[in-house]
Amino acid sequence: MEAKHDVLIVGAGCAGMRAAIEAFDAGADVALLSKIHPVRSHSGAAEGGINAALGNASEDDPEKHAFDTVKGSDYLGDQDAIEVLCNEAPEDVYQLEHWGAVFSRTEDGRIAQRPFGAAGEPRTAYAADITGHVLVHVLYEQVMKRNIQTYEEYFAWQLVINDDRCQGVIAWDLLNGGLKTIGAKTVILATGGAGRLYVGTTNAYACTGDGMTMALRAGVPLKDMEMMQFHPTTLAPTGILITEGTRGEGAYLLNSEGERFLKRYAPNAMELASRDVISRAEQTEIDEGRGVDGNVLLDMRHLGAEKIIERLHGTRELAMTYAGVDPIHEPIPVRPGAHYHMGGVDTDLDGRTELEGLYAAGECACVSVHGANRLGGNALMETITYGKRAGRHAADWALTHTTIEVPESVEADAEHDLKLLLDRSDGERPWSIRNELAETMHENFGVFRKEDQMREQGEIVSGLRERYEHIVVDDKGDVFNNDLTQALELGFLLELAQCMVVCGLARKESRGAHARPYDYPDRDDDNYLMHTLVRWVADAPVLDWKPVKMTKWKPMERTY
Amino acid sequence: MEVKLKIWRYDAYSGDRELRDYELEAPEWACLLDVLDLIKDQQDGTLAYRKSCRMMICGSCGMRMDGRAILACKERMKPIVDRGHVPVISAMGNMPIVKDLVVDMDPFWSKIRRMKPWLEPGYDEVLERERIVSQQQMNAIQKEALCIMCGCCVSECNSMESDPEFFGPAALAKGFRFVGDTRDQASIERLEDYNDEHGIWDCTRCYFCNERCPKGVDPRDAIAKLGAESVKEGIDRDMGAKHAKWFVKSAETTGWLRETELVPKTQGIVAAVKQTKFAIGLAKKGKVPPPIPPHVAADVGESRALRQLVREQGREGAQGIIQGERGLARIEHTDAGGARRDAPEVTPGEEPPKAEG
Ligand SMILES: Cc1cc2nc3c(=O)[nH]c(=O)nc-3n(C[C@H](O)[C@H](O)[C@H](O)COP(=O)(O)OP(=O)(O)OC[C@H]3O[C@@H](n4cnc5c(N)ncnc54)[C@H](O)[C@@H]3O)c2cc1C
Ligand code: SF4
Ligand code: SF4
Ligand code: FES
Repeated sequence: MEAKHDVLIVGAGCAGMRAAIEAFDAGADVALLSKIHPVRSHSGAAEGGINAALGNASEDDPEKHAFDTVKGSDYLGDQDAIEVLCNEAPEDVYQLEHWGAVFSRTEDGRIAQRPFGAAGEPRTAYAADITGHVLVHVLYEQVMKRNIQTYEEYFAWQLVINDDRCQGVIAWDLLNGGLKTIGAKTVILATGGAGRLYVGTTNAYACTGDGMTMALRAGVPLKDMEMMQFHPTTLAPTGILITEGTRGEGAYLLNSEGERFLKRYAPNAMELASRDVISRAEQTEIDEGRGVDGNVLLDMRHLGAEKIIERLHGTRELAMTYAGVDPIHEPIPVRPGAHYHMGGVDTDLDGRTELEGLYAAGECACVSVHGANRLGGNALMETITYGKRAGRHAADWALTHTTIEVPESVEADAEHDLKLLLDRSDGERPWSIRNELAETMHENFGVFRKEDQMREQGEIVSGLRERYEHIVVDDKGDVFNNDLTQALELGFLLELAQCMVVCGLARKESRGAHARPYDYPDRDDDNYLMHTLVRWVADAPVLDWKPVKMTKWKPMERTY
Repeated sequence: MEVKLKIWRYDAYSGDRELRDYELEAPEWACLLDVLDLIKDQQDGTLAYRKSCRMMICGSCGMRMDGRAILACKERMKPIVDRGHVPVISAMGNMPIVKDLVVDMDPFWSKIRRMKPWLEPGYDEVLERERIVSQQQMNAIQKEALCIMCGCCVSECNSMESDPEFFGPAALAKGFRFVGDTRDQASIERLEDYNDEHGIWDCTRCYFCNERCPKGVDPRDAIAKLGAESVKEGIDRDMGAKHAKWFVKSAETTGWLRETELVPKTQGIVAAVKQTKFAIGLAKKGKVPPPIPPHVAADVGESRALRQLVREQGREGAQGIIQGERGLARIEHTDAGGARRDAPEVTPGEEPPKAEG
């Protein structure tokens, strides 16, 4: 075993770093472990902002924030978790400011807040169009200040389970090669999302759901896995995000006939309707033949060059670089793309999972505050508030429990499995499996879900998993072998895809991101006001249900 | 499109380097990073490079194309292919190569750490509310806050090449991010520290960092601001500081640079005496005007007015620069034909015209 810690945090995005800081300040021996350098984490790509009822732009309070979140979740969010988030959010944002976050400011020098989709008040604190970048860097500054040990470019592969407790992680050291076992009294998973399940996604290459699958393989259940949010304006073909801010500034969405088609779907809110509504409208246009090469057009030419250059500078740069389109002169082709996984590792309010010593926070976890549909700006807030809570609890627990024991067999088994993979020299390279998975998920488990397509997808994924058994890794070396880690990532993705299909088939209703207009077009609170839960048993997903926690708010129809 | 490129491969075990040729079919929208992905998938899984966000924000994919540092996810291949050019890809400079296009970033990060890169607010507890800071005050560090720590500037830094211990552009830009933050209470200590050997005055002002930074951070400008703040705070022990002070003084009083006095003012009398022979030689050749009486330029008023303006505007005078302006200018420059200039109409029922790219 390489090292032992009180708290080991796998993943160093906003959630992981916030957890590390909190655990450190609670007096624990903390280490971070991440497959990419902390500041490279995908939290840095968040543009829009972070929600807290600071009341700087209007009268606001945590209760209003909570209600918007409950309603936005299509009532699938756990209301106790939402209340905790909204109550603690303001203080957590002030903390970030005191650490030095470069927030944009109001006239009177307070943190500026902007309106965001489906929020009753302007509540989204922001730093120009680089909020996530600013937060990642401020958190890493605090990590450096505390000199918290960081295993950089370590790829976590397996959890160490011993004595019914999680006692560490087995990771592949990318720079030097070799499996390293790092023992810990508690492990916090903060590995982010799994957008790479889809061809068109706003997520980075690193977003492959590793933590979710590691937990799953350790017998811990995942929750609401069918709930993948699609963002309506992602750049074709790669899925790079074009921020909601473009529509906020007045951009139009047009179909191939040049029509502002949203007038037929959301005549009042038009381009400012909620994400799921616009994504469905776009997909309908595309499916009915009024798309342009599988896209619709985001047109901001009427805003004029000056406004575009001044306010939407970043967007213009993205469109020019990745679509070869200058939005001053041409509309941008956009389509719905996989954006955010509401589902994840099932945890309680302190980030605890079913397995003693194992915690989860951030996008890889499901507390659940987002239910069936996340509001823009709530994900970053969740990483901070629940990262902090998990860090605190894990530290407290670790400081009152003493031993770590990693049996040799655990390491030996991992070495054995890895050797099998590396020694194989005949077979398929993983990339075609990865591409087929991402394309078919988009096709069959996208914005709209049909019973037969979901079934078909289940079979496709099973087939891909069989092929995966025989893959070959080209690079046999030790130094920076990300050919190997990318192959392991694909393994994680395949199991998640299977879980998603099982949950999607089970939820026979339409709620939030799970839209089944062809067979179950309505929400069905009598039968499905419940979380799906999925466990891995004998190499296959097994479905279960879990009640939604209600505190104050009774389900109502969700209209905007 | 048919893409051709050459990649400097580096064997991690033997340290051998080899320039290898690649040819492949790539979609027209592909960036260099997409092309590398295709090579890694379909031709050679052992090719090593870093990547993550593929949208210019994570700073993973710094490398060199034809000898200049770039982000692989920011370079569109279409214009390059259209020119019939075969680019050469290699690892960044000034950092040890680990394998192929992957460099060891440890020296980079240890310099960042050297800057004590965290806010020193002067208290520990969380106050009840945020501090009151104007947007204008925040803007003072807007550009430095854009840094994604990609290392492109360090890769190209001339000073670093001759003195590996030079703090370097990224670290110094990070330093200014705190010195320029009104909330920071340790700015004086920082300036003292950054004035040390290998610090701000060791920059050769080659401006390569400004030129190559993919995010428009303009690290050289940050170093200049650190210099100005140091002099303002009376921290001028370094020759560089004295040199700069004399430039300003001379320009303000006479409207031009009195070079004869530059050496004594910068390096002191002893050094100046040692240089006398050289100076006399220059004077004989008519290269140096007689120092007394000082020649005052006719339009000295202009140079004084300029100095006054800089004094009044202080740090904020450098503002009004759009984020990433430089980066964007470069896209327009290299990709003039890629995006159409005239605005095409969307005709009902017809596919709107697409960009060539
Ligand atoms: C383009 C974009 C824009 C967004 N904008 C907003 C916004 O404006 N507001 C908002 O609230 N939310 C936004 N979101 C959502 C939000 O940014 C994310 O949900 C959130 O940042 C996730 O943070 P995280 O800490 O959970 O994970 P991440 O930041 O993704 O970090 C994951 C970490 O885990 C590590 N890791 C993963 N697997 C392994 C492994 N096997 N071994 C070791 N380490 C591993 C990674 O290296 C990384 O450090 C946006 C998302 C995207 C994609
Ligand atoms: S201007 Fe200074 S810091 Fe920038 S590259 Fe040149 S020597 Fe280095
Ligand atoms: S200053 Fe620019 S080039 Fe240098 S590390 Fe920062 S973003 Fe990269
Ligand atoms: S991949 Fe993130 S900057 Fe290029």
